[in-house]
Amino acid sequence: MKKVVGWLTEPVPLGRVAAFRTLIYLFVAADLVIFTPWVRHHASTPGDLYKPLLVGRLLHLPIPTPLLVHGIFWSLLVVALAAATGRAPRLLGWTVFALYFEWMVIAMSYGKVDHDRVGLLVALAVLPTVGRARHGDPRRTEAGGWALRVTQIAVVCTYFLAAWAKLRFGGLDWVTSSVLARAIIRRGTDFADLIAGVPYLLILAQFGIVAFELASPVIFFLRPRWRNYAVAFFYSFHLVTFATITISFAPHLAAITAFLALEKVRPLVWARGFLGRNRGEVKGHERPVV
Amino acid sequence: METLSTRGRVARVAVTVAGVVLLLLGTLWGQDDDFPFGPFRMYSTAPDPNADAPDTRVEGVDATGRTVVLTEANSGLRRAEIEGQQRAYIDDPGRLRQVAIAYAEKSPEAAPLRTVRIVIRWEGIEHSRPTGTSRDEVIATWTAP
Repeated sequence: MKKVVGWLTEPVPLGRVAAFRTLIYLFVAADLVIFTPWVRHHASTPGDLYKPLLVGRLLHLPIPTPLLVHGIFWSLLVVALAAATGRAPRLLGWTVFALYFEWMVIAMSYGKVDHDRVGLLVALAVLPTVGRARHGDPRRTEAGGWALRVTQIAVVCTYFLAAWAKLRFGGLDWVTSSVLARAIIRRGTDFADLIAGVPYLLILAQFGIVAFELASPVIFFLRPRWRNYAVAFFYSFHLVTFATITISFAPHLAAITAFLALEKVRPLVWARGFLGRNRGEVKGHERPVV
Repeated sequence: METLSTRGRVARVAVTVAGVVLLLLGTLWGQDDDFPFGPFRMYSTAPDPNADAPDTRVEGVDATGRTVVLTEANSGLRRAEIEGQQRAYIDDPGRLRQVAIAYAEKSPEAAPLRTVRIVIRWEGIEHSRPTGTSRDEVIATWTAP
């Protein structure tokens, strides 16, 4: 038990939490305008077509109106960009979570629920609990370790429990069914049409998908180097999915970064260093020894 | 190092367990309605290897007689959203009037729609591969009085 709790709260550098926080809140802003811009279209959808999800009914969330939809869009955009700076992490973080959650209830309440953002929602729910974290701070934090760990668990659940859902809704026949052929007919690319022409390749892919989903928890038992390879494999899986049936799973892709040593990615420091060198400044270790 | 208090640690473990249990319950017995704890059911059905595949579209005929395919861009409604409520449209085709209203709201400069219909193009499938043949079936129609 103690070992499991230790694993769940395994400390990580504060700089990693800071980087993850900036990335996730920037993603929320990008999601609003680039990845799921269709949510805003519901401002003009007649209220009769609104069929609120269970959570919307429990919380008595209002029927979306143009004022509500545009109001959430603009306030969420501003608050998410402010939160990306790392300032007021609890106040801004909880506000982003509440607004984004309502945004998702609006998105999913017109007859179609997407399954690509549980990892992102978990990240948004736990990031405010970490408190302050400065970029580049090497000190370690258990609260931050927990936030990243539960995001990782949500990412793996998205794969592992998807295999369970296939068994529940499709049964064992799923692997030999025409599910991928259907997906390609509905939204396939030219590349997908090429693949669909090869006998048995789609069925082989279906076996591969289930095997990968069932094996996904293995990532928690890998050493850091191999864990990075596993993350690369996750991304390559989604790259192929996008290249064939144009489904991006973008929010999930953002959540996967919880597995990476993001503190090593310092774009602002690199940019400053680059500009400094251009001005002829040299650091101590760059001076010639004479 | 920033360590957690015992209370903080217990609270986090409790929240983690609750979240995982809800996700498991949702996966085993839940539906999409239980979002965000519903089952991860994307592409989880197992259509017969030789069953035709439905490719749904919504189209309208405007006042000038032109046929327009309704998309997310011109109506604000996603195809999957129409499919998700498909049963309701078949039972009460009058609901399609709401789609015409959504189109008028989203494309105010376009001619108003006189007819809206949901059409399924059944694409042939054999041995889990597309055959390239298809036929259309209209499943719901609404025409302005």
